[in-house]
Amino acid sequence: YRDLHTFELQAPTRLIEWARGNRVCVAGYGQSDGNEILQLIPPPTLLTKETQGLCPERDFKVECGGFSERPVYSLKYVPDTSLLVTSGPPDSSLQVWQVSAEDSDVIKSVSTIATENGTGQSWAKIATISARAPWVLHGSRLDRVQITEVESRKNVYTAAFRGSEELSGLAFLDCNTLLLCCATGRLCLADIRQPQSLVEAMSVPPAPCSEQWCMGTRHAAQGLELSSQPVACLSSRGLLTLTDLRKTSEFLALAKARVPSPGSGAEFLCISWAPALEGYLAISGFDGTVHVYDTQSWDSSGREAEPVFVHKGHAFGGAGGSGDPPLVTVHTWHLQKPRTLLSAASDGSLHIWDWVQPCGMC
Amino acid sequence: VLSMFCWCAGAGQDVGRSCILVSIAGKNVMLDCGMHMGYNDDRRFPDFSYITQNGRLTDFLDCVIISHFHLDHCGALPYFSEMVGYDGPIYMTHPTKAICPILLEDYRKITVDKKGETNFFTSQMIKDCMKKVVAVHLHQTVQVDEELEIKAYYAGHVLGAAMFQIKVGCESVVYTGDYNMTPDRHLGAAWIDKCRPDLLISESTYATTIRDSKRCRERDFLKKVHETVERGGKVLIPVFALGRAQELCILLETFWERMNLKAPIYFSTGLTEKANHYYKLFITWTNQKIRKTFVQRNMFEFKHIKAFDRAFADNPGPMVVFATPGMLHAGQSLQIFRKWAGNEKNMVIMPGYCVQGTVGHKILSGQRKLEMEGRQILEVKMQVEYMSFSAHADAKGIMQLIRQAEPRNVLLVHGEAKKMEFLKQKIEQEFHVSCFMPANGETTTILTNPCIPVDISLGLLKRETAIGPSPDAKKPKLMHGTLLMKDNSFRLVSPEQALKELGLAEHQLRFTCRVHIQDPRKEHETVLRVYNHLKGILKDYSVQHLPDGSITVESILIQATAHSEDQGTKVLLVSWTWQDEELGSYLTSLLKKGLPQSTP
Repeated sequence: YRDLHTFELQAPTRLIEWARGNRVCVAGYGQSDGNEILQLIPPPTLLTKETQGLCPERDFKVECGGFSERPVYSLKYVPDTSLLVTSGPPDSSLQVWQVSAEDSDVIKSVSTIATENGTGQSWAKIATISARAPWVLHGSRLDRVQITEVESRKNVYTAAFRGSEELSGLAFLDCNTLLLCCATGRLCLADIRQPQSLVEAMSVPPAPCSEQWCMGTRHAAQGLELSSQPVACLSSRGLLTLTDLRKTSEFLALAKARVPSPGSGAEFLCISWAPALEGYLAISGFDGTVHVYDTQSWDSSGREAEPVFVHKGHAFGGAGGSGDPPLVTVHTWHLQKPRTLLSAASDGSLHIWDWVQPCGMC
Repeated sequence: VLSMFCWCAGAGQDVGRSCILVSIAGKNVMLDCGMHMGYNDDRRFPDFSYITQNGRLTDFLDCVIISHFHLDHCGALPYFSEMVGYDGPIYMTHPTKAICPILLEDYRKITVDKKGETNFFTSQMIKDCMKKVVAVHLHQTVQVDEELEIKAYYAGHVLGAAMFQIKVGCESVVYTGDYNMTPDRHLGAAWIDKCRPDLLISESTYATTIRDSKRCRERDFLKKVHETVERGGKVLIPVFALGRAQELCILLETFWERMNLKAPIYFSTGLTEKANHYYKLFITWTNQKIRKTFVQRNMFEFKHIKAFDRAFADNPGPMVVFATPGMLHAGQSLQIFRKWAGNEKNMVIMPGYCVQGTVGHKILSGQRKLEMEGRQILEVKMQVEYMSFSAHADAKGIMQLIRQAEPRNVLLVHGEAKKMEFLKQKIEQEFHVSCFMPANGETTTILTNPCIPVDISLGLLKRETAIGPSPDAKKPKLMHGTLLMKDNSFRLVSPEQALKELGLAEHQLRFTCRVHIQDPRKEHETVLRVYNHLKGILKDYSVQHLPDGSITVESILIQATAHSEDQGTKVLLVSWTWQDEELGSYLTSLLKKGLPQSTP
């Protein structure tokens, strides 16, 4: 490591979202009432280019917070507004919140975007964009995808796809193109100007039914055409696929991560591209570790890939030995510092770490 | 009614100025008397004219309590007691009493000698002030006067820091001062019992902070020291005699052992003696680990840490030195600093806040050219690092303390005029108590529900528990008695006893009611009908038919006579005493409903 800071949140989080002004947002996902949404100001050490070590300001500050009655499983800021949207069980409705840090330190609940709830519906996955207006793309299943205007709560687009597969993630590739990832591994592209059409972006190699998939797209903030960036997918068995959306007939690359046999399920599977380091991605959700890979050496053979770095900090968490070992619930990359990541685990720990390239590259 | 007047000012760093006035059941207590470190003029002292415009402070205040020896909590004490004027008692713990004067004198020297201030307290004033101090032990109830009592609880944070409970009758306030809910290497965690005060006043400057783990900070400290020593540099760590110095020593000793390092570590002797002295005195104030270490061997019999000699500062090669005083304002640490400052391989690590005007403060502010005595300019090329290990309660800690004490109201005292609506809501939601966050100079009034203790006579208690159906332990039971208030005591006794004590005769009150019922039969037949009717309904009561033709229900009398003008109507006379009011009214309304047709 070049640097490692460990913190303990009062309640564990399964999301870490970046907000304007280098803020970071976390939220509780406990079953009972009283989950907190916290917008944090990271310690100045994170913000400076040179890591300082003994800098006096090494702590996170809670800038503002809100109370959620339901567990918060997903949270997205709505760009160019002071709003954010959350979702979580028991249904697929969304909650809209207002953050006005200058006036008050309370994140206020503003409204709810209700959805038609069929039986067996789980929580909605969400993505936001503010190209034409502040929109939120949401849905828990393939046939329930819609786009709602956040402020007016008007429905702007309803997908007419067939297929009741559960979604594990969705994203805006641009203001007209959607990328949808099903838990089964099916990856689809849709154009909102054509509600019926759905283009298969990837066909998944046959696998046991219980295998679940999730995806990671590059941050829109890159200024590059998102559709030219490969989409990375991760399965609960540790399979990693890279797909070029322009050439969906075959995988760009295929690899396997060395992960413990799936015991913990796919609840917290997470894969993400490094915004400032070409070709690097990180995965987590199998145990108390986060793996960093350099995909530039991958091919389509599906061989086991060696991680460039493994963060084990959460596995050696301080909090006593009782109970299950902590599971990393989410990780994210720092938007500017190339090798800095944040990760959180089920024991409430929150780490910021900066890894060193092992063999003198870059 | 509890009312409070709050002063608290902070400046962003760990330093503010604490001085809180509490008025509880007519008693006035001042909590802490801090100095504002950011100001150089009168603004650094609290404005005591707020308290009383023309009265004497000694008459107005019942006592002053100081929570711990940090200057932002006791820095204005000599000014307050000797320059403004207060002769009443000042309470603090034993370690605080021992250490306060040293820090105050240090502070005075810097301000007067170095900065040339004139409106400041003198050494004699510090001595005179300390003469007014009454030292207290943990968990010892101290009677300030007949009605006011105080008790100190362990607060962690620094040696001798305490939280105080202030009690007048059944109203109480707990003031936390600065406290810490997680134990560290040399101090335990704060603790209080479920004393359920009407108000808990807690520090909240760090409520919005999520601190990084101690391990990370220690690791980074060791890394810096190691790096410096590896490149042949010298590390200076200016410390105050007590507290963090011991922790850092233990840390370095362990690290040196593990890494098999050879560079010498020195601890200046003045420090050792003082530290040993205080630790011996106040061993019960430190945590288990230190106590064990101390008992097994002398605190400073470390394998790798040796006593320092002035000459060693000139030795070539790497070394680490702990020296006093902590802010580099004088003495040995400043001497060593001057020798080492010019070499960029060296490092100085400041382990805490430095008062304005000290070299420590200057270099932490970024100054690299210092003017020393005789107009000499010292160029500082050595690395300057700052590291704070001081422990304060964060939001989680505050919630823990509230959970322990179970106060009815919470008041948060904070540095900047921060909006802390979120924490306020959090506390209110979780504990269902009111949470106040007054601004500087604001008065907060808190209403309390005082309990009035009443003694109940044994006879009355026995009697009341004997009658009626067997009492359900969970349900409240209604009792009847007479409340006697004499002087300051309240007693509940039976009416008979009250009458006896007061020498009064009992009056009897009797009600009589006439109920008309339609019954053409003879009187004695009507009586029988009534008797059977009542007997059937009032199964739990004693219903009797007396030979003289009257009916009794318990002690209520019912007699029947014919109506003077109308033979078809009978008049029932129902008569009862005041004590039987309930039953009497019930009977009357029952009889008014008439008799059932089919009574034999």
